[in-house]
Amino acid sequence: MKSEKLLRSRNNQRRDSPSLSSWVQMHRRTALQSWQRLLKTPASSFATIFVIAVGLLLPALLYGVSSNLSSVLDNLNGSAQISLFMDRGSTASELRLVREDLLFDDAISNVELISSEQALEEFSAATGLSEISQQLSDNPLPATLVVTPMDADPQSVATLAARLGATPHVELVQVDSQWIQRLTAVSRLVAVSGQILTIVIVLGLFFIVGNTIRLAIENRRDEIRVVKLVGGTDAFAARPFLYAGMYYGLGGGMLATMLQFAVVIGFNSALQDLLQLYESNFHLQGFGFTSIAALVLGGGAIGWLGALLASFRQIAAIDP
Amino acid sequence: MIKFDNVSKRYAGGHEALSAISFEISKGEMAFITGRSGAGKSSLLKLILAMERASTGAVFVDGVNINRLSRRQIAQHRRKIGAVFQDHQLLFDRSVFDNVALPLEICGYRPQDARRRVRAALDKVGLLRKERLYPEMLSGGEQQRVGIARAVVNRPSIILADEPTGNLDPDLSTDVMNVFQQFRDVGVSLLVASHDISLISKLNCRTITLEAGKITEDYSAGGGS
Ligand SMILES: Nc1ncnc2c1ncn2[C@@H]1O[C@H](COP(=O)(O)OP(=O)(O)OP(=O)(O)O)[C@@H](O)[C@H]1O
Ligand SMILES: [Mg+2]
Repeated sequence: MKSEKLLRSRNNQRRDSPSLSSWVQMHRRTALQSWQRLLKTPASSFATIFVIAVGLLLPALLYGVSSNLSSVLDNLNGSAQISLFMDRGSTASELRLVREDLLFDDAISNVELISSEQALEEFSAATGLSEISQQLSDNPLPATLVVTPMDADPQSVATLAARLGATPHVELVQVDSQWIQRLTAVSRLVAVSGQILTIVIVLGLFFIVGNTIRLAIENRRDEIRVVKLVGGTDAFAARPFLYAGMYYGLGGGMLATMLQFAVVIGFNSALQDLLQLYESNFHLQGFGFTSIAALVLGGGAIGWLGALLASFRQIAAIDP
Repeated sequence: MIKFDNVSKRYAGGHEALSAISFEISKGEMAFITGRSGAGKSSLLKLILAMERASTGAVFVDGVNINRLSRRQIAQHRRKIGAVFQDHQLLFDRSVFDNVALPLEICGYRPQDARRRVRAALDKVGLLRKERLYPEMLSGGEQQRVGIARAVVNRPSIILADEPTGNLDPDLSTDVMNVFQQFRDVGVSLLVASHDISLISKLNCRTITLEAGKITEDYSAGGGS
């Protein structure tokens, strides 16, 4: 009996006063109205979205390049090698002996012998200059011992290389990881500049969204006045503009994703020919689900926050 | 319900629009404010709506000093008041229906509940058939009635009306007054600014007369002042 009464009073309440579902409905309606308003001025809405997209695209590309670089580096780091170019005069058995000695070294995991004949063959195959090499009476290439260190970090590779300089019959020591180090430095530079650029661009996007929203508020001053006169809070008056800002940001994020795909596809096809020379199957990784989500959601958040920052003071200043 | 305690209002230009105003309107009372143009009628109503602040003195609504309200509380305060503005204050990019629905939307009514109330309010002012039109398609008097419908749609406890019959013919004016009296009869306090002396005299309500910002007469129908 009592609970029935309670139920009935709760039903009454739901019928006549604000409730959660009405709150949701109100948001849905505001969201729809803001959307329709954007569609009413397609050109200027698109201009804003486009600017946001380009802004988001720049750091996204830098981030993509730097993460591609670091994944390449991860693969390469395990393969730091030291090439020992041997005296031209050393015989095959001498070379074998040196190799076996080196294999006992604790700091070395493997040693591969490339004879001067093998080196020449590889060279002709890689360059297609087999005719020239056939015409050479003398093989200009030295035999090489390719040493794979146990420890791939640049410091210990360098120490090992210095030590190997004293090995008999070795004419020249070349550390193949030097370019890896340079690449690491470059990738770090790309990453850092990407972060700085991201901060600058996010600030710029706040400004762009804020400016667009400020104009929209200025155009609808009278409406905001009336809303306040009949009891609308600042938050209520700001809500359509926050939705608009969010739409700009989401739209910008989506457009940036598409532009990014276009860039990646274009870049890869241009890269293809170049990379074939190196027999590398490296290609710029497409950007995965997380990066799409980051762009779209990040864009939406930037738009919303930019609108919030721009609208709050301005709407509060409209005093009926 | 509404209490003015020695209120003066001086505008930025230095003009004193209201001086030393004191009066009180009780729950379920309907009162007129008359006076010539520029006497301060609109200024007085704006003080109650917190559109302007009293320079000295205090305005109380429901025992609360309006001057002390925060921004948020002012919004809540205005929701209790149905206001008809001298310049209508309609939204021209929304239909008649949506204009009247605005106070309900702000209070978070579900659309289906709001619809019922908006229709009832439009019916009271005889505009039910024009709910889909936009304000610019309406005559001045029709716009005024949209404003009246919007003022009463949320069943406010106070109704403030600034020249609500300024653009209406005598018959419509009488209708509007009947609507107001229905609200008075259910306990709503009403304060109506008007120069329409003939209409006021017919109704035999309390009438406060302003002259250059001062109350010169507070005539009460039931005798006394
Ligand atoms: N915002 C303002 N700034 C400066 N002076 C104002 C302002 N609003 C009104 N006034 C002045 O205050 C006085 C009273 O104005 P108010 O609008 O209250 O008169 P009213 O009685 O409503 O007149 P009407 O019947 O013409 O509507 C007028 O002299 C007017 O010039
Ligand atoms: Mg006036």
